[in-house]
Amino acid sequence: MKFQIEDVTVYFPYDHIYPEQYSYMIELKRALDAKGHCLLEMPTGTGKTIALLSLITSYSLSKPQSPIKLIYCTRTVHEMEKTLAELKLLHNYQIKHLGPQARILAIGLSSRKNLCVNPTVLAAENRDSVDAGCRKLTASWVRAMAAENPNVPTCQFFENYEKAASAAVLPPGVYTLQDLRAFGKEKGWCPYFLARHMVQFANVVVYSYQYLLDPKVAGIISKEMQKESVVVFDEAHNIDNVCIEALSVSVRRQTLEGATRNLNRISQEIDSRKNLFHKLGPKPTYAVGLFHGRFKATDASRLRSEYNRLVEGLALRGNLPITDTWLSNPALPDDILKEAVPGNIRRAEHFLHVLRRLVQYLRGRLETDNVEKESPVGFVASISSHAGIDQKTLKFCYDRLHSLMLTLEITDTDEFLHIQTICDFATLIGTYARGFSIIIEPFDERMPHIPDPVLQLSCHDASLAIKPVFDRFQSVVITSGTLSPIDLYPRLLNFHPVVSRSFTMSLTRDCICPMVLTRGSDQLPVSTKFDMRSDPGVVRNYGKLLLEMVSVVPDGIVCFFVSYSYMDGIINTWNDSGILKEIMQHKLVFIETQDVVETTLALDNYRRACDCGRGAVFFSVARGKVAEGIDFDRHYGRLVIMFGVPFQYTLSKILLARLEYLRDTFQIKEGDFLTFDALRQAAQCVGRVIRSKADYGMMIFADKRYSRHDKRSKLPSWILSHLRDANLNLSTDMALHIAREFLRKMAQPYDKTGGSDRKTLLSQEDLEKMGDGSVHEMLY
Amino acid sequence: MNNGGARRMNGGGEEDDDEDYVNGDLDAWERTYTDERSWESLQEDESGLLRPIDNKALYHSQYRRRLRSLSSTATAARIQKGLIRYLYLVIDLSRAASETDFRPSRIVVIAKHVEAFIREFFDQNPLSQVGLLTIKDGVAQCLTDLGGSPESHIKALMNKLECSGDSSLQNALDLVDGYLNQIPSYGHREVLILYSALSTCDPGDIMETIQKCKKSKIRCSVIGLAAEMFICKHLCQETGGTYSVALDESHFKELILEHAPPPPAIAEFATANLIKMGFPQRAAEGSISICSCHKEAKVGAGYTCPRCKARVCELPTECCICGLTLVSSPHLARSYHHLFPIAPFDEVPPFSLNDPNHKLQRNCFGCQQSLLNPGNKPGLLVVCPKCKGYFCLDCDIYIHESLHNCPGCDSFRHSKADKE
Repeated sequence: MKFQIEDVTVYFPYDHIYPEQYSYMIELKRALDAKGHCLLEMPTGTGKTIALLSLITSYSLSKPQSPIKLIYCTRTVHEMEKTLAELKLLHNYQIKHLGPQARILAIGLSSRKNLCVNPTVLAAENRDSVDAGCRKLTASWVRAMAAENPNVPTCQFFENYEKAASAAVLPPGVYTLQDLRAFGKEKGWCPYFLARHMVQFANVVVYSYQYLLDPKVAGIISKEMQKESVVVFDEAHNIDNVCIEALSVSVRRQTLEGATRNLNRISQEIDSRKNLFHKLGPKPTYAVGLFHGRFKATDASRLRSEYNRLVEGLALRGNLPITDTWLSNPALPDDILKEAVPGNIRRAEHFLHVLRRLVQYLRGRLETDNVEKESPVGFVASISSHAGIDQKTLKFCYDRLHSLMLTLEITDTDEFLHIQTICDFATLIGTYARGFSIIIEPFDERMPHIPDPVLQLSCHDASLAIKPVFDRFQSVVITSGTLSPIDLYPRLLNFHPVVSRSFTMSLTRDCICPMVLTRGSDQLPVSTKFDMRSDPGVVRNYGKLLLEMVSVVPDGIVCFFVSYSYMDGIINTWNDSGILKEIMQHKLVFIETQDVVETTLALDNYRRACDCGRGAVFFSVARGKVAEGIDFDRHYGRLVIMFGVPFQYTLSKILLARLEYLRDTFQIKEGDFLTFDALRQAAQCVGRVIRSKADYGMMIFADKRYSRHDKRSKLPSWILSHLRDANLNLSTDMALHIAREFLRKMAQPYDKTGGSDRKTLLSQEDLEKMGDGSVHEMLY
Repeated sequence: MNNGGARRMNGGGEEDDDEDYVNGDLDAWERTYTDERSWESLQEDESGLLRPIDNKALYHSQYRRRLRSLSSTATAARIQKGLIRYLYLVIDLSRAASETDFRPSRIVVIAKHVEAFIREFFDQNPLSQVGLLTIKDGVAQCLTDLGGSPESHIKALMNKLECSGDSSLQNALDLVDGYLNQIPSYGHREVLILYSALSTCDPGDIMETIQKCKKSKIRCSVIGLAAEMFICKHLCQETGGTYSVALDESHFKELILEHAPPPPAIAEFATANLIKMGFPQRAAEGSISICSCHKEAKVGAGYTCPRCKARVCELPTECCICGLTLVSSPHLARSYHHLFPIAPFDEVPPFSLNDPNHKLQRNCFGCQQSLLNPGNKPGLLVVCPKCKGYFCLDCDIYIHESLHNCPGCDSFRHSKADKE
């Protein structure tokens, strides 16, 4: 269908549209018109992605004189593929209606691990080794060597791509990662480099958050993007954490040991090459020697030329061939000094000495017995007095290391991750004086008898990493199913949205049933509050709740606990008291662990148990992998129970430091932030069960604290609007009664389009009939 | 029953607003009244006296809904239907069946309505046979073999109503599949499962069993008593059956009775073929013969197989000696109407009666009662789309559920035939 929103003709690939999608588009269009940023919350399952895509592409089509580029950021590769598949559908529809002028180029970009088609490289198991494997075949010096010696292996895909040079372009169309691989295989071109090249020309780019937010990657990939772009962050409820992680570094004992090994190898490399040059260089006697000798000669001269280059400043790095750059400076582009590298680290040997002293110093700091917290300024001063490295030197560490490794032609970069971490740390600490702190903990607080010292440079200010994005691009859209309370995000990220709105879901039936359970069947309150959580009465009541629920809820139930340790404790108690055994009579029990493989296996079996009708319960942890990325839609999750309020571990030093910073800088109260963070996690967890409107599910918030207004009001409005006052203060038996009724009601057949009073699907005629006003009336 | 229906019909509109705020403070017994709001259906007449509650309109609209849903699946006239049905009724007697959310307990309610169903089933499908199966302690057991006598089934069931253990869908389906595979190809194989449990503990892969049932063309339907289960839905979708979940006792009754009229035949299976049948004579009163089904001498009131002259006690059945299908002609006639259902009558909007141009019929074509309510207000009435005769609600139900002929059309046809 196509329809008009003000001056834009929107092409929408389906025959019907949900009213909330329509108003979502209207708000989005206003933000684009105003060339400002916006914040939109709309529940999952209402077709956010297609609404976004069709409005932005249509907007771009309607303004051919100034086409805008869409940069769509997703969290996972799976989401990326889904987005591109929807875009493909939309694109076909637009071409059908508009003809070839609607053609666009849309590509997904991911790491080499997902795009590489070279079987030898792809055999490596993790991302870093695939990257290194690729570099071993495609680095400029390797290729130069291969030109002389045909025995040096190269990647034929990359060679073909290079040979095709400017002819290597993608014809317009929508390419998922799989399409890119297929295209690359067919043409014999490397899909990864092709995609990276095409990013500049594409109308739509879909990639991961890191490509924009992590300065190490963004500097390489996203440098060339035009200002007239719309950046969309989908599922962005945790965007502040992504920003913070992009600028945080932690150093452990293993890191330091690894770094020392790395340093030794680098210095060996430097020494051996110099010595060889002196021994072999002048007297080339036989063929291999000749080759070798000349190679070494260039080595030494390269070290010398590097020195000269460093004198001129690091800006030259931009001239390096595309394959040789792998990561750029961890600090943000505006904060990098455009000046020459300080004299004391220009020579490779000197730089190595500096790094050794730094590693030595860090090792000394790790040997502490107390928790220490320091500001970057203090830490830099202490480095300067103890190790004799000044701030400016620290700031250049990362670039200097990078340059040195290029000069030494090191391709197995995955081996050098440790020293990179150290330099990363040094550069960040040298660059930023505010918004960070350094915390040294001699052991994990939960296991004080195991020494595991860790030095963390933690960033407290999410706005640092995202600031360049807001500054550079015309419109940034932050959207998710759970962004409540919506006024906190602008403060956390320090920006001013022109539109910030929260949409509810229009439903043909009340297919979600949130409940707040405050008491057990014995009328005693339940909570995971610290002083109550180990109370046997609470544990028993929680057990009884689950036991009652497994007997009335069909298929899958998902339970979320506040932490791994709490989950372990409560499951042990249930096991001892026999509750677990009784649960197992009704449903099988699966547990999430910290081991990814084990959890995947458990999930797989959980799904099978749900499929075959045996029924299953999945025990999981809020903030865990499962809570973030796994959907429990349809029969895989008919009920989700949130045991307790998932507050962060409040004694964590990092959290305390961040809270303090937030209070001082953004005037956000500690309590407000903690509640906000806990409730968004809870909303995330319970939101796993509803992934579409045809689905239905119940949500039980089992903690007496949820009935308090300050907690509850922070839930997203699509949950709140279904949370009736009658369901606010339930005991187990009441919840059971409601669950029974709800499940029976939901099992009845229903009319998908909705009755006349609750219109939930709009056709083209409906839209034409009503002005904007009536849509608003209907929704609010 | 009526109140239950009314609540469901009003379900979408008004229930979610203000009155629910009150619900939290109410006791459970009070809540049932708030839900039903029975006082709202009270009406006053002109002089302010309470009028007897008019359940008729309510009951009728509910009935019409059912009629419409039935006819929409059958799309009115010529659809092939399986008249000779072999139905296994599977009753779940697992632990969950003893729960008391239905009063006094699920199993008592099930038994009560199974009894009604079996009688209704044989009434509508005199040529068909039923067998009973139970699931208990994870094992499926055959209670009665396929047979045409309602009494023997009901008696067998009433003796075995203890519930325990888990439930296993796969075991039940395997057993049914084994029995139904042997029946002749003209018979329609069906299973109706009354499932209380919310899980199934199976010895093997149930998906394979479902495929097996699909292959042997067994139509599996499930009525759940608690909530929707994925596997049941999957089973019904795969085998072409229906899946429904009962809201309360009256709804359960409605659902189970929906299975009484014959379902449309599975297309690829519905090849027309001839079946050999015998129409036995009823033996004279007082004649003594050895009954072939009970293996003992009986006096009078039996039927004699026309082929082998053996005596059988009841019709319809299969002759134990020569295997001939024995029926009586009224049985055939009673099955016949399923093939030619009368179209549902159209409801007449009340205002068109006041239309002076419209020729008004003041009496019901069927019972000749006045169509006007006391006080000369027009009541609800319906019109036959073919003969345009007006009928009252009672006649509407009677015509569609018992008579299966429209008096208007028939008399019209007769008078036309007379003229010619």
